[in-house]
Amino acid sequence: MTGLPDHARPILQPILQVENLTKRFPSVLALDNVSMDVKRGEIHCLLGENGAGKSTLSETIYGTYLPDSGKIFFRGAPVEIMSPKDAIAAGISIVHQHFVLVPPLTVLENVILGTQKSGLYMDLKYARERLNELSRNYGVALNLDARVWHLSVGEQQWVEIFKALYIGVDLLILDEPTAVLTPQQSERLFSVIKQMRDEGLAIIFITHKLKEVKAVSDRVTVLRKGKKIATVNTKDVSKQELANMMVGRDVVFTIERQDMPPGEVVFEANNLRALNFHGEEGLRGVSFDVREKEVLGLAGVSGNGQKLLFDVIVGQEKPTEGSLKLAGRDITNTTTSKRMKLGLSSIPEDRIKEGLVMDFMVEENLILGFQRREPFAKGKTLVNQKAIRKFSKKSIEDFDIATPSSKQISKKLSGGNLQKLILAREFSQETKFLIAGQPTRGLDVGSTEYVRRRILEQKRKGAGVLLISEDLDEILNLSDRIAVIFKGELMDIIDVNEADIEQLGLLMAGIQKGEEV
Amino acid sequence: MIRIFGYSLEKKPTTSPIMEFVAVLIALLIAFGVSALLIASAGANVAEAFRSLLRGSFGSRSAIAETIIQGTPLILTGLAVTVAFRGQLWNIGAEGQFFAGAMASYLVATSLPELSRVPMVLTIFLAALIAGGVLGAIPAILKVRFGASEVIVTVMLNFVVLFFLSYLLSGPWQDPMSAFLQTSRITETARVSRIITGTRIHIGIIIALISVVVVWFLLFKTTLGYEIRAYGINPIASKYKGIPPLRTIVLTLAISGAIAALAGAGEVVGLHGRLRLDISTGFGFTGIIVALLGRLHPFLVVAAALFMGALWNGSLAMQITTGVPIALAYVIRGVVLVALLAAETLTHYRIRRVCDE
Amino acid sequence: MNNFFQTTIIVGLFASTIRIATPFLFASIGELVTERSGVLNLGIEGILQIGALVGFLITFRTGSHWLGVFGAGFSGIVLGIFMGWMVTTLKLNQTVSGLALNLLAGGIAFYWFRVVFADVGAENLPNLRIFQTARFPILSDIPYIGTIFFRQQWLTYLAFLSVPVVSYFLYRTRVGLQLRCTGENPRAVDMKGLSVAKHQYGALAFGGFMAGVGGSFLTLASSGMFIPEIQAGRGWIAIALVIFGNWIPWRILVVALFFGLIEAVQLTLQALNANVPHQLLLALPYLLTIIALCTAAGRSRSPLHLGLPYKRE
Repeated sequence: MTGLPDHARPILQPILQVENLTKRFPSVLALDNVSMDVKRGEIHCLLGENGAGKSTLSETIYGTYLPDSGKIFFRGAPVEIMSPKDAIAAGISIVHQHFVLVPPLTVLENVILGTQKSGLYMDLKYARERLNELSRNYGVALNLDARVWHLSVGEQQWVEIFKALYIGVDLLILDEPTAVLTPQQSERLFSVIKQMRDEGLAIIFITHKLKEVKAVSDRVTVLRKGKKIATVNTKDVSKQELANMMVGRDVVFTIERQDMPPGEVVFEANNLRALNFHGEEGLRGVSFDVREKEVLGLAGVSGNGQKLLFDVIVGQEKPTEGSLKLAGRDITNTTTSKRMKLGLSSIPEDRIKEGLVMDFMVEENLILGFQRREPFAKGKTLVNQKAIRKFSKKSIEDFDIATPSSKQISKKLSGGNLQKLILAREFSQETKFLIAGQPTRGLDVGSTEYVRRRILEQKRKGAGVLLISEDLDEILNLSDRIAVIFKGELMDIIDVNEADIEQLGLLMAGIQKGEEV
Repeated sequence: MIRIFGYSLEKKPTTSPIMEFVAVLIALLIAFGVSALLIASAGANVAEAFRSLLRGSFGSRSAIAETIIQGTPLILTGLAVTVAFRGQLWNIGAEGQFFAGAMASYLVATSLPELSRVPMVLTIFLAALIAGGVLGAIPAILKVRFGASEVIVTVMLNFVVLFFLSYLLSGPWQDPMSAFLQTSRITETARVSRIITGTRIHIGIIIALISVVVVWFLLFKTTLGYEIRAYGINPIASKYKGIPPLRTIVLTLAISGAIAALAGAGEVVGLHGRLRLDISTGFGFTGIIVALLGRLHPFLVVAAALFMGALWNGSLAMQITTGVPIALAYVIRGVVLVALLAAETLTHYRIRRVCDE
Repeated sequence: MNNFFQTTIIVGLFASTIRIATPFLFASIGELVTERSGVLNLGIEGILQIGALVGFLITFRTGSHWLGVFGAGFSGIVLGIFMGWMVTTLKLNQTVSGLALNLLAGGIAFYWFRVVFADVGAENLPNLRIFQTARFPILSDIPYIGTIFFRQQWLTYLAFLSVPVVSYFLYRTRVGLQLRCTGENPRAVDMKGLSVAKHQYGALAFGGFMAGVGGSFLTLASSGMFIPEIQAGRGWIAIALVIFGNWIPWRILVVALFFGLIEAVQLTLQALNANVPHQLLLALPYLLTIIALCTAAGRSRSPLHLGLPYKRE
């Protein structure tokens, strides 16, 4: 099954047409009169930054959301897609950005879920044959009887893709599929989806990365703030033009990282070992140190122990072995609040679940964790409303938090403002060591830039920073040194000036320098 | 999302106090309707039944006084549940904690008979606080240490406490002069009843009202209250920001248990003067409804408690005049709760016009 | 002589273990299926009581035991669906909804009972002839074994049969897989075009049916009479048994039998006039439940989405 050269492919009719789709959520107009079409045998990129409406558009095509107005045509005929059921019946499938797998179940069970419409028993034999056939076709090996939570994130992605292919689709939507892959794994994925295209599938590929658009797509539709900007042939536009369409202004932003001489070692991890949720060793002897005025970036594909490392450092998980030192003090066995008092600030990966009390007012969230400290408390036991109000007013101003008042319920704030709220809180104390987990995930360009600037400001002020991120560009832009984590071990720590993407990608896949690929 | 003729029902991000009030009103109306149906199905005259219900609860000075008396322990159990639920800790054990307080009172009154009134009464309430606090702390510790669900543990402890009490009442503590399962009367110095002449209103109401203010202050003016509320809404974020689970959970449930125990002590000291199994009409369980009806707010809890107290007394009067069993009060209790929950979600929605299909 | 006496006691002990385990088994196997769909139904206690009353009343009026059992099961289905309305349609907090269901069901049972038997004094409450126990040719006459295993209630055999049936359903059938997925990750089910609500309603209806039948066992196969609160915490213990049994059918069978044995021992001690106050013996199962919960929590794994409402966004 080799791909035909571009000119040899027949000109195909659109399989999917979307006309004037509008979708409003309570607080935001997510899709504003969007029209587009996708042809058989094409890879069509949906490009836009976070919050542009890419996911909303694809979820509306899949029936997860109902549009407020607009029409969808599939194979030339108008279709009413009221739920995923209708989409599946029509031959549309999706691989969500956040996988929807059932971790305790096997790969096979995950794939066949919902595919069989009648009968008492599960037809496992047929499923096995069909899956093995798919495996052979795309050269992807999957252990069908493994439980999903045993698989790496990359493998889980294949399970998701096989789920979509298993039911036989004409249109496959992939929502940011490379977010969890190493550069090399992404390449592999690209070649597989090109093969699918050549077999006649229509593919919508959602991304915010320009080089991926150039690498895989035939056409690209750019969305910005819920509006369609343009649909163009990929080979007719440059990356710069795409960037301008996506962001709506001329420059694509890069942050100025300042080289500065690092100070004393402020944080040390020695031979850390810890057990994860499943009782397996999720950290296997991690050692590193971070100096004042230094950003250590932790690169790695998600699920390789980053979250566990975060939890161990902030004191939510106990290491089974090894030690932690903060500002010269051993903190291995101290509580979270003691560590905070020693100057540990943290930006958790999941800000809504781990960072904020969403039903609290802004001012209440601004002191979470500091509620027993002066001046927010009088003698540790009484709340000092006045001091809190004053601090809150100042924070809202200093950190440019868009909220009508400090008494606003936090869940009414946008993602960017919630992250600013967390920054305001964490930086209200003198930060000696900052651990930031995915600090810009899901934020729009403006907020991303703001958050990065604030993190670098802490570095300038003298803090040591551990930046955990799956975004290699972010790591390369902000870090002074880069550590790569793979299966709970640090593969290497390299200076940013000596790092290149290719090498980092190999390390992220667990391959040491000089080792055979 | 539901969509009919171009209109859609969708969730509002927040709800206004007015809508919350409307929800309570709707719930009460539904409860009213259901009870009318039940009364009719029992073959009684609905209008007459409601008239006697109203007369029995608010119809006279003594009826109002009795409503307050019935509402007194409910204020306290309602507050107890409020504190726990604010911390997302489902204390279903207020009934057992009520009896723990009652037993502690009896124990103090009988084992320290030489105390004069003021120290006696203070010791009794202190003992009740401790007993309830300890009983409340047990499920808390088991939850943190072993991950045992506090719902089931508190329910089980209710049974354990009641069996233990019935053992005491049928043996060691039984009134030798009586064939009933009850203790003899406690000494006069341990009693503070009839604080308003002509009524049976007793010291319990003072304790209850003080507790209302204390709980309000605790929840909204202290750092512990802040931590309880934070932990209640998002325990994970609270832990990540250094609020210690053990301390928070244990204190929340111990405080909750202690308040429920005060109710038990109040009933013994102020009303009954002795210990029996029927000194509670399910105050602990009704406290759950009181707390939810009172929107988990201490001041509103008072109103909710008095309402439930009125319901009980009214039902009592209704039973006498129309023969509708007092058990109706239990049904209405349940209907109010379910209707309240349902009405509450409905006020979270708004109807919005969307474009034509 | 003494030896014969001991043997009789031991045989009686095992026979009553199986009998006592029956309502636990009904309620907890039903609750297991419900929880596997992601719904924590804390209203089992109330459903048991309604089942006990409905079964009793129908049999009292019609004279048919099986009609009573089916009526009880049906009332359980109604209450289960009502729970579904609260937690699946309205997406209310499951703990509060379960408590509400308990309080409501308890109130209804109490009121209904008082209305029906308004003029009857406590000492004159009606008494039913209970179900005839099963008799099998030859088997029932085997010494000891026959008494323990082959002279039980038909409902008991049904309860035990439900264990392999439910086990087979959950792990081998198409709908069982969908149900398990609903409890672990309802989004996966939703995104496959399947209805989360239908699975949860179905599971709640089944759980309600089982609890209703379990309740009827108390009045129709055990005591022959209804008194308010006859279920005496069995619903709560059933929920604990599901945890103790790690959400696996055959393990729940084992722990239900264990609880049955403890209660049987307690009854035997009571009958033998052991020198322990009987109220303290009566408290034993409840204390044991607490201990069981403490030992189970660390090593058991609940469905990942248990107790949480599912919303699409």
